Amino acid sequence: MATMTNPIELNELAHHFVVVHPLDDVREEKVDTENLGPMAMTWSVRISLLSLRAYLVLMMLLVFYHVLDLAGLFGRHA
Amino acid sequence: MNNKFVMDPAAGVATRVVPVRGRVVKSKWAHSLLTFLMVFGPGLIVMVADNDAGAVSTYSQAGAQYGIHLLWIVLLLLPATYFIQEMVVRLGIATGKGHAAMIYQRFGRWWGLFSLIDLELVNFLTLVTEFAAIDLALNKMGVDPRLGVPLVAAGLVLMAVTGSYRRWERIVVFLCMLDLAWFLIAYRMHPAVGQIVRGSLIPEMPQGGLTPELMFLVIAIVGTTVAPWQLFFQQSCIADKRLRFADLKWARLDTFLGACITITVAGCMMIAGNASHVHGFTFTDPAQMAVDIGTFTNGFFRNAILLMMINAAVLGTTAISLSSAWAYGEVRGWPHSLQLPMRQAPGFYVVYLASVAAAAGLVLIPRAPLQLIILGVQVLAGVMLPSAIIFLQLLLNDKELLGGYANKPWNNWVNWTIIIVLFILSLILAAQVAAPNLFPAASGGH
Repeated sequence: MATMTNPIELNELAHHFVVVHPLDDVREEKVDTENLGPMAMTWSVRISLLSLRAYLVLMMLLVFYHVLDLAGLFGRHA
Repeated sequence: MNNKFVMDPAAGVATRVVPVRGRVVKSKWAHSLLTFLMVFGPGLIVMVADNDAGAVSTYSQAGAQYGIHLLWIVLLLLPATYFIQEMVVRLGIATGKGHAAMIYQRFGRWWGLFSLIDLELVNFLTLVTEFAAIDLALNKMGVDPRLGVPLVAAGLVLMAVTGSYRRWERIVVFLCMLDLAWFLIAYRMHPAVGQIVRGSLIPEMPQGGLTPELMFLVIAIVGTTVAPWQLFFQQSCIADKRLRFADLKWARLDTFLGACITITVAGCMMIAGNASHVHGFTFTDPAQMAVDIGTFTNGFFRNAILLMMINAAVLGTTAISLSSAWAYGEVRGWPHSLQLPMRQAPGFYVVYLASVAAAAGLVLIPRAPLQLIILGVQVLAGVMLPSAIIFLQLLLNDKELLGGYANKPWNNWVNWTIIIVLFILSLILAAQVAAPNLFPAASGGH
């Protein structure tokens, strides 16, 4: 196993395999997310997400209540 | 070339271009192995860090209260946790950006803000439980937590601020490997192999039926096995490590191996909890369980469990704090990379440091019901999980964003099943809390 730094040398060793750590590799072109903008969402998706948000807030309050109940703050548990 | 700078979209800062440095190997087998080892890390870390202090508490309590009757639930969570994290791997590799950045860019500021607040809230509460566990374990080891907790916090900060992703990853992978000591601990409990196989493969309801306590614990198990911070952490970690499209199969393998390790270690924790119950001890918290186990084994296993608790908390803390720091940095547009020194990414490191310091400071509150807080936080994570997965699901079906890397129909089928099961569990919990008289009372018999 040898350490290589020169791409020209690497090409000469075509029958060998070169392994490059992702942090040492040239930066790969990824999906261009900047120019995509926000995702197109139908009204049904928007309403579903809003319902989900409301449900989540309710569930969080319920869990807090249940934890306080189990801790005995409401006098039903030891 | 050494003097050229380019903008790094993942880190949010201009970085110096360095020449490609690679290793030449002669066989395809060595090429595959070395490539895997270079890609290996984010998947293992996210999974093993998921077995954090809260997980140690939850799994050992499940073992202590219900024996090995809930092992099948843990096994069932193996494909669930893998499939969810595999989606994150695809998203991270395709976009090179973190999860919070993706939600902001594709759903807009309003939804992005909600997701960020949810994440930061649960993360902070979880961090408090990590340090609570460190406090408990240090106490049982005879170390003053007022000295030990700040020392652990300082260590956690030092391992992240070196300006090298690779250094941080190597330290954390080493800590992940220490977690394998749970196998030794479980083996020393002399488990009945036949019963474990049966408990893992055959779903059965513990004696006493579906009580609110059992439902609470089941949701906590789900919440600790598939936690919302994991989505944010692994995607940001992949972006920071700059994994390439060609690395996808190795990143999947990394995630799968991590999932297998975390699930089997979870089973070991249940076995330890069960052993303390079999010997007549009542579970209060995992640190006390370690002391109880020490009475019928020896001091080595007592200290091993306490050290594993601390190790689990350290792993959980570094991963959760980083998920907070990465997410905040992505949303604010700050430089956010472990590859950057502190002076180049001050905001990113300040969030990490503040998360660790605030949670460490809070645990010194006396007489807090720590086990209940730990379990409550896991439940909170469990009820918030469907929301996080739905955003992930929408992103993974975004053909405009992911093209060929978008979800296949079977991916969606699996994910919707997971989401529906989680909703049903949380609805049962809600019904039990809102109308307790409709359900049988906790019998206490297991």
